Amino acid sequence: MAGRKFPTVLLLILNLLSFLPFLTISFSPDHPTDRRILVLLDDLALKSSHSIFFTSLQSRGFDLDFKLADDPSIAVKRYGQYLYDGLILFSPSTDRFGGSLDLEGVLDFVDSGHDLILAAETSASDLIRSVAAECGVDFDEDPSAMVIDHTGYAVSQIEGDHTLIAADDFVQSDVILGSTKIEAPVLFKGTGHSLNPDNSLVLKILSASSSAYSANPASKLSNPPLLTGSAISLVSVVQARNNARIIISGSLDLFSNRLFRSGVQKAGSSYKYEKSGNEQFVTELSKWVFHERGHLKAVNLKHNMVGGTDEPSMYRINDDLEFSVEIYEWTGSSWVPYVANDVQVQFYMMSPYVLKTLSTNEKGLYHTSFKVPDVYGVFQFKVEYQRLGYTGLSLSKQIPVRPFRHNEYERFITTAFPYYGASFSMMAGFFIFSIVYLYNK
Amino acid sequence: MTRNLGFLVVALVLVASLCEAKIFNPISDSHRSAALQLFSVSDGSFGSLEETYEALRTFEVLGIEKKADTRASTCATVVDTIGSPSSALKDLFQALRVNGILKCELNDEAFKGIMSRIKDAINDAHSLLDYYYSIGGLMLIKDQTSEVAVHLGDADRIFRSIKALSQGDGRWRFSSNNPESSTYAAGVALETLAGVVSLASSEIDHSLIATLKNDIVKLFDGIEKYDDGACYFDEKIIDAHMHQGSLSASSVVVHGLTAFVTAARGSLNLPGDKISGLAKFFLGIGVPGSAKDLYHQIVALACLENSRVSVPLILSLPATVLSVSRKDQLKVRVNTVLGSAAPPLSVKLVQIFSSGSKDASVIDQELKLDPESAVHVLETLPKNVDVGKYIFSFEILLHDPEHKKIYATGGRTTVPLYVTGVISVDHAEIAILDSDLGSVEIQKKLDLSGENAVALSANHLQKLRLSFQLTTPFGRTFKPHQAFLKLRHESGVEHIFVVGSSGKKFEIVLDFLGLVEKFFYLSGRYDIQLTVGDTVMENSFLQLLGYLELDLPDAPEKAARPPPQPVHPYSRYGPKAEITHIFRAPEKRPPRDLSFVFLGLVLLPFFGFVAGLFYLRANLRNLPKSTVPVTFAMLFHLGIAAVLLLYTFFWLKLDLFTTLKALGFLGMFLTFVGHRTLSHLASTSAKLKSA
Amino acid sequence: MGRSTTSKDAQALFHSLHSAYASTPTNLKIIDLYVMFAVVTAVIQVVYMAIVGSFPFNSFLSGVLSCVGTAVLAVCLRIQVNKENKEFKDLPPERAFADFVLCNLVLHLVIMNFLG
Repeated sequence: MAGRKFPTVLLLILNLLSFLPFLTISFSPDHPTDRRILVLLDDLALKSSHSIFFTSLQSRGFDLDFKLADDPSIAVKRYGQYLYDGLILFSPSTDRFGGSLDLEGVLDFVDSGHDLILAAETSASDLIRSVAAECGVDFDEDPSAMVIDHTGYAVSQIEGDHTLIAADDFVQSDVILGSTKIEAPVLFKGTGHSLNPDNSLVLKILSASSSAYSANPASKLSNPPLLTGSAISLVSVVQARNNARIIISGSLDLFSNRLFRSGVQKAGSSYKYEKSGNEQFVTELSKWVFHERGHLKAVNLKHNMVGGTDEPSMYRINDDLEFSVEIYEWTGSSWVPYVANDVQVQFYMMSPYVLKTLSTNEKGLYHTSFKVPDVYGVFQFKVEYQRLGYTGLSLSKQIPVRPFRHNEYERFITTAFPYYGASFSMMAGFFIFSIVYLYNK
Repeated sequence: MTRNLGFLVVALVLVASLCEAKIFNPISDSHRSAALQLFSVSDGSFGSLEETYEALRTFEVLGIEKKADTRASTCATVVDTIGSPSSALKDLFQALRVNGILKCELNDEAFKGIMSRIKDAINDAHSLLDYYYSIGGLMLIKDQTSEVAVHLGDADRIFRSIKALSQGDGRWRFSSNNPESSTYAAGVALETLAGVVSLASSEIDHSLIATLKNDIVKLFDGIEKYDDGACYFDEKIIDAHMHQGSLSASSVVVHGLTAFVTAARGSLNLPGDKISGLAKFFLGIGVPGSAKDLYHQIVALACLENSRVSVPLILSLPATVLSVSRKDQLKVRVNTVLGSAAPPLSVKLVQIFSSGSKDASVIDQELKLDPESAVHVLETLPKNVDVGKYIFSFEILLHDPEHKKIYATGGRTTVPLYVTGVISVDHAEIAILDSDLGSVEIQKKLDLSGENAVALSANHLQKLRLSFQLTTPFGRTFKPHQAFLKLRHESGVEHIFVVGSSGKKFEIVLDFLGLVEKFFYLSGRYDIQLTVGDTVMENSFLQLLGYLELDLPDAPEKAARPPPQPVHPYSRYGPKAEITHIFRAPEKRPPRDLSFVFLGLVLLPFFGFVAGLFYLRANLRNLPKSTVPVTFAMLFHLGIAAVLLLYTFFWLKLDLFTTLKALGFLGMFLTFVGHRTLSHLASTSAKLKSA
Repeated sequence: MGRSTTSKDAQALFHSLHSAYASTPTNLKIIDLYVMFAVVTAVIQVVYMAIVGSFPFNSFLSGVLSCVGTAVLAVCLRIQVNKENKEFKDLPPERAFADFVLCNLVLHLVIMNFLG
């Protein structure tokens, strides 16, 4: 026993040493891409059956830590520090996680800004369902229900039950799905879900076609299914307010080598794609979810008077000012200028007084100029940038606006000439009166 | 335990589809391309010697040409390892294994050198792996060179000491001080013992071999089985890093078993269905994604294919979806696991189960063999097979009775089949009925294979009836899985109804009076959509039939509100409308001329005042006559003028502080001269009075 | 009839007033003239304000107030220097004048400051 202890200690030290570099380059505001990812599996065979997906992550520099979902040594947190930046839950049938992880733990993990990929299956466990439900996604209540589509299925010589769906109703977003159009349909086999209408953060990425429905293929339908048509979401994403990102897929097979490699021909179409869109779809999605794309930062929020360069501590009403902010996007390895034409700034006090679209120099700098309103008080420059798929930007800078000083008003107004004249005539009159009255006899 | 259960469930979901039977396909080209991908060459080698062996062995089995470019560097490593006196036993073993495939040029001296080392190792061996590497090493030396005589003198002793590690259930322990038993170890032990048997200089005690055979049978008793007939050996010790799962355990056991059977030359009574079950397990994995898994799969299948136990035959169907309209033929292919040709045999369709009903029809029809493509074809489907889901049951009949001992057919093979066809849709009509009388108000025929655009209107006292009829190509009534009628209101609220069947007809009657609550009292235009679909219906459709103008009563106060419709995600984002501040309008200014006119007017009274002074004959006669008071009087008035002038400058540009400072000085001066002047005047007037 | 009587009465009254005023000392008449001057100027400004509006209000106020202030101060001076006013019998008119000058200077300073 004593003989075994020594190597254990040594291993631990080696482990710690190997961890050191990761600690330094893990997720941080300056380097938002995730590095360490915990993968929880139901079965280690998934490691090999989904290896293309995992290998693509590893080749992009992610450090994957595979664990069985009920491994008692699972811990995502130690001494208050998270050990991982991302979590992949490929364990649809797990009722309880091993170790210290539980539903609360997963939610806390996400609440502290970490990312999550969740894949369910038919007969997903209550645990997985409740994780999804907390993210605003409700899986079909019938555990044996699958998404069936009799007109949008993938033609196959050996699978005839129309549960392998060729889905091509993607969300229109280059930032989530990459700029290259996904030509081939994505093969999907699994359970469908609906989005909670109260949750405004969850977004359908891949929808079923309007002829799809979610039901148990083996039993007859007597009641209308709960989920039908394009309301069924096959894959959804959530971007939380803290920029944590979540993918929820109703199919674990979607990530599998088998469907990655499989060709696809959609029913009713004569064209057969050599390769399904799954690999591209999943790779692009994983780039998004692990912040290799669509992560923005805004820096150098500046403002000054037109013609000046220094930032004043306050403005006077009716001043002309210039405002600028720099926005960069993270590409996974570096920050590049973000180019868009819809960044807006607000000049805000209780409500926006000025809301203006910024013009860009295409090198990341956004600028505009406007006149300070003729209302004084404590204003804010506000940049609220919420775009589909991008992390939200929310910056504000406080600036007081004062009225005219007493010597800043307009003088020698023509309209007031009679009053001036009267005043001076009074003065002249006083001068003459004082002489005449005093020496009159 | 939960872990194993979890594993089982997932594996079931993964490996077995929802059907109770599954088709297993033999090794194909996809495995070959995967092998080339997974075993990637970097820096001229496959990595470690173990990885190199796995790669080379897999390539060998799959018939992929070895890459010559790795040979030179790999051989150099092999020679180094074997030549070095410090290399570990495991590395020696791996080097020898690689050499077995690559046939590097090694001299007999090298073999002799390591042989003595290995023999020493056998005597010092404690753990199963020590034995495995050393015995395996000796076996490899024996295979690779004929110059060196390899014999084990004390084979019986070694056999016994390895056997001592075996457990009651057929599993083995890795070493005597490790109590955990493992299936993987059993496979390793079997292979080692096979080595011992074949290296033994004298015959091994028969009773030992008999007990070992007994152990093997026990091991096979503990085999795990899936619903689809696949069998595997479960591994209790699962290590995420070593990844010794069921696949590697099963593979190693198969490897050891076949090695042992070959070495012992004895017959072993193992049930054929378990052997073919194992084959199904390995094939059911499909194309593994990791190199190690692929190696285990391929090696195990190669062992099964060449084994002396029994060679499993795999019955596979290129297509299980057969279209009646395309007149697809049922084709069956029988191969060995690695995809090579099977011995002469015939395939028989034994039974057909119709899905949904328990009864099976017994057919007993032999399939015709197409000798060119080696495919067994059923030219026409049996008469009673209409469109639908079936389970076909096949049997393989070997022509040569001798083959029955060699090949394992696995008994009956059941295969789920989908027979699809075009379903004809007839007598489709939609009607509005009067509720009380049931009389038909409007009736319209529909052509469900073409376009429809009906325009109907109804109120809450009426009913909507939709009916159609579905028949199979064989004239039978067809009941699809999906027959939905959807009404979608303009606001996006949807209502879905399942169209039920009554006899031959599909009919749904919507009584709007009973539905007003469900419709949230929403009047207006409803789109009518009909979806009919089934797995075996080739012409499944989703059709917009037209619209229905519905006139419902106004909602009472307590009525439920329609659920909120999801907001379109794109509308939530996007820029907001710009806001510009509206500035206070500047004050209205009168025309300049008016101001100037009034400036003149305002100055007029001043002239009037001056003129009035002249009129009153005001004079300055009171001015003092003497010089000093006059000067003071002058200074006094000059002072006042200066103060007024100062005020003017103050108005024009000076600030208050400068003004007040100057005013202070002027005031003092003014007080002084004012006092002098006024007191002079006062004294003058007093003199006047007194005079 | 009545009308002519009234106009005659008015004429008589005016005449008596005129003759009574004629006896007023010249220096008081000068003050009266001065007050008139200030009041008329103020009235013209008010008329102007009625036409163009109250902008700029501060200028209007100072313009009018300078007139009103002048008039008030002049009236004060008149009260103090009137010999028939027994109340100020002991106050020398020069002292009253000095007060008047001082007050005027302060008034105009305030007016200038407020004129804008």
